[in-house]
Amino acid sequence: MDAVAEQKYNYAVVRWFTVMAVVYLVVGTLAGTYIASELAWPFLNFDIPYLTFGRLRPLHTNAVIFAFGGCALMATSYYSVQRTCGVRLWSDKLGWFVFWGWNLVIVAAVITLPLGITQAKEYAELEWPIDLLIAVVWLAYTFNFIMTLATRKSSHIYVSNWFFLGMMVMITYLHVVNSMAIPVSLFKSYSLFAGVQDAMIQWWWGHNAVGFYLTAGFLGIMYYFVPKQAGRPVYSYRLSVIHFWALMFGYVWLGAHHLQYTALPDWTGSLGAAVSIAMIIPSWGGAVNGMMTLSGAWDKLRTDYVLRFLIVSLAFYAMSTFEGPIMSIKTVNALSHYTDWTVGHVHSGALGWVAMVAIGAIYHMMTRTFHTEMWSTKLINAHFWTATIGTVVYVVAMWVSGIMQGLMWRAYDEYGTLAYTFAESVEAMHPYYAMRAIGGMIFVTGAVLMLINVLMTVRKAASEGSIRAASTAAVSA
Amino acid sequence: MNSLAEYFHTDWEAMTTNDWVGLVMTVVTFLLMVGLYFYALRPKNRDRLEKNRFIPMDEDRIDSGDKNGG
Repeated sequence: MDAVAEQKYNYAVVRWFTVMAVVYLVVGTLAGTYIASELAWPFLNFDIPYLTFGRLRPLHTNAVIFAFGGCALMATSYYSVQRTCGVRLWSDKLGWFVFWGWNLVIVAAVITLPLGITQAKEYAELEWPIDLLIAVVWLAYTFNFIMTLATRKSSHIYVSNWFFLGMMVMITYLHVVNSMAIPVSLFKSYSLFAGVQDAMIQWWWGHNAVGFYLTAGFLGIMYYFVPKQAGRPVYSYRLSVIHFWALMFGYVWLGAHHLQYTALPDWTGSLGAAVSIAMIIPSWGGAVNGMMTLSGAWDKLRTDYVLRFLIVSLAFYAMSTFEGPIMSIKTVNALSHYTDWTVGHVHSGALGWVAMVAIGAIYHMMTRTFHTEMWSTKLINAHFWTATIGTVVYVVAMWVSGIMQGLMWRAYDEYGTLAYTFAESVEAMHPYYAMRAIGGMIFVTGAVLMLINVLMTVRKAASEGSIRAASTAAVSA
Repeated sequence: MNSLAEYFHTDWEAMTTNDWVGLVMTVVTFLLMVGLYFYALRPKNRDRLEKNRFIPMDEDRIDSGDKNGG
């Protein structure tokens, strides 16, 4: 029990964000598995418009990225900034405003997206009133974080906070520009941009949501929680500085690689691909930095299940940050684009990197902020294996499916006509779509085990009175 | 003109204001990156940067009011 920390820091808002992140992990992955099953077995639409792939897909992406990812980022950033700066969150009220505001955004998404209310911009589907709410809540989150940094007791701002802050600044900028729209009614608006400019803005946002939200933010998690869980300082601080600035300078250029062979000027796609390749260096530097933190203490992986999540996430980070640049090269892109290979790539990053590192951090915070051990260590172990196996099954299915798709679409016969119809390629995909759905089911099983474990730990803490004891225990100043 | 020269040929007269702004930003970003790599990898700066590795390990010291040297 860490009574000093409980009384000094605002752990309450961290606890709520942490538990809600796990709830949304289950909801988001369940929605994803359902739509994956719809692609394999279309009768699951049941001819109900609210359940169709087109409406549930944005619900899935919003739930996993903004509900699960957002709550995980807010929990971890508010937890680590307080501890590395030695001060309480600047404003408790603002912290709670962010918690309730962010959850209001999520509820609004759950209602509007199945109803078909959407801006039709990928990863930015929510209509303009919700976009405004997101901007207000995000700025409140950022302001509270910055003010906590400003009142810190440490002389140096630890690198995890740089990554969190980089994410906050860039996402504010990206969200505001990408969401610029002309409202025509309460639930309908049209983008301020048109044609190829709209496409460029969309993917400037789309790839940077990956780069700054799902990468920089989660690297903030990695740089704090890997050393803490391993009980060892990060391998190289200089490497982390290079990692941070190279990511900040480089990532903003990449979006155009999503638009190879389109009306976008050719050089922008080439530039996007060139910088994508260059980004392998800092990304791998960061992954090696995280893994080498365990140098001399690899044996910890045999017994520490939480550390396994964190280290395996780095292996997936290294893999997907190599795969992405390769896919951005025009010749590879000619095969991979619009196929399931892209879906496999995204999920090796989303399930293998983002979810795994967040899950490791959540287990770490659960024991510290609830002042008790996890209800079941065996369940954490079972979760680790289901998450890993589920991710691998999913990703392999999509790699095979995607490459087969790409090859079928561009195969010509001796007369120069297409060798396969589109319907034939869809038919060929069926076994892999079923395999993908099974991979998703395995991953969801793990997420449910985590939710049970987390809720039982909350109950255990309540029955032990551990939080109350930590809050009221006498501590020396 | 060989193909490489042709590939890198630029019609400077046709450069618009946007092109110049983009070019300047690209070159400045590149130079800043070079400066950063030099700063971070310079042996003289090693100890100054590497001491910050221990911040997460020293949280209790920050808690106790030591201020981590600050």
